[in-house]
Amino acid sequence: MAVGYDRHAVLSGVDLSITRGTFTGLLGANGSGKTTLLKAIAGILQPLAGKITFHPPATLGYVPQRDQLDPVYIFSAFEVALMGVCGRVGPARRIGRSEREQVHQCLEQTGADSFARKRFAELSGGQRQRVLIARALAAEADFLLLDEPTAGIDAATTRSIMELLLRLNRERHLTVLMVNHDLAAMRQYAGHIVWVRDGRLVEGPVNEMLRQDRIAELLHLQFS
Amino acid sequence: MEIIREVLSPDFLLRNSIYVSLLIGLVCPLVGTYLVLRRLIFMGVALPQISSCGIAFAFALHAWHVVPHLEDRSENTLAFGGSLIFTLAALLILTVLQRRFSGLAEARIGTAYVLAGAWSILLLVKNPYGEHGLLDRLRGEIIAVSDTDLAMTAAAFGIVAVLLILFRKEFLLVSFDPEMALTLRKNVVAWDSLLFLLIGLTVSMSVLSVGPLVTFGFLLIPPLIARALARSMVQFAVIGCIVGVISAFAGFCLAYHWDVPVGPTDVALLGVIYLLVAGTQSLWRLSQRRAVPHA
Repeated sequence: MAVGYDRHAVLSGVDLSITRGTFTGLLGANGSGKTTLLKAIAGILQPLAGKITFHPPATLGYVPQRDQLDPVYIFSAFEVALMGVCGRVGPARRIGRSEREQVHQCLEQTGADSFARKRFAELSGGQRQRVLIARALAAEADFLLLDEPTAGIDAATTRSIMELLLRLNRERHLTVLMVNHDLAAMRQYAGHIVWVRDGRLVEGPVNEMLRQDRIAELLHLQFS
Repeated sequence: MEIIREVLSPDFLLRNSIYVSLLIGLVCPLVGTYLVLRRLIFMGVALPQISSCGIAFAFALHAWHVVPHLEDRSENTLAFGGSLIFTLAALLILTVLQRRFSGLAEARIGTAYVLAGAWSILLLVKNPYGEHGLLDRLRGEIIAVSDTDLAMTAAAFGIVAVLLILFRKEFLLVSFDPEMALTLRKNVVAWDSLLFLLIGLTVSMSVLSVGPLVTFGFLLIPPLIARALARSMVQFAVIGCIVGVISAFAGFCLAYHWDVPVGPTDVALLGVIYLLVAGTQSLWRLSQRRAVPHA
């Protein structure tokens, strides 16, 4: 498979298989194509060559970089999470009470119910991330794709978000694929690592991929 | 009060004009909220100008004998066609350019605005038939509105308002987070196209009735006022519409009283309201900031 923008391949010859229920970290240098690959898997970008298949079909929950969402919109946190059910509620149909109740439950599960009525744009980075994860859960996703969910967030909040994702991965058997730069967090929470390097993917179990010598090797190759 | 009574009277000579003003005051802000939310304010300036260039071009076709002499009704249809085609073509071209090329989108929109203005004047100058009526439109004179024109405007704006309300959920989702919409298997291109079609239809109908200046004023100033006051997206739309309708009515009464063109009066009034709201908010913030050290 090849992925990229405007017929220009950022990654080519990609052959990646992600097992259901795993927690996978997607690592690599800035501009290496991590987000491009994530967006292709999420269906936001069409692959330039090859195809992506899900066996059995998966419901995707995409969690974008939180700063990507424009603060000019006057949405409450609840309203943002409510967007997750739009895939199941047809055009011109009102969102019913049961869907609203389900969204409340998703906000509770992510610890975001206490600020559900607050304006989304005025929340802290960690709070917004919890709301966006709740939105993905509201879509009844079984495959979560997250783009740098802990970037720019303090250590304590990073830990609580990673704990939340690990709990969802274990209790709800959610597949998690996350772009992240935080090697320490990945070592602690991920089970599998995909490293994007020189337009190719290198993958393996976390214990093997994030060994000191392996990291040095990957980084050395990257900068050589 | 006497003027309000006169304006509201069923026998009022210009009653169709005030109905059209109120319709524009109601629907343009509803459409304008999406221009503000999508940060397409410059587009809101350029589109009415491009639309009036389309009207001028349609009248020029008549002057150049490309189309035969038309009755008033057909002339209006021709003008509407020109306006709608120019507006939708501009929306399509500017959107495609924005997606394909990173450059300065504002520069492209600004260039389109200037070119449309220049071509409108050139087409007007060389048009012995349409000059008078078109100049009235450009000045924002809302005087002669026939029953048929009113019915057409009401029907078009009715369709726009109903679709905007009916598909509000979809339009807001694809505007706020198109990537999320794609993962939910929404056809973002189709929803965007429908939204732009509604924007184009509103701009065309409005420019045909009241000219580019008033259209621009009602598209953008009420949503900007509403954005400053609203606490939710519903309030944002509702306050914009209320401000639009009140300004349209009050502006009409003032223009009638002072015997000045309605359109510029409406826009000037909107400007005064915007300044008052922005000034009050600034004073409020200042007083809050001063109160903090004493707390």
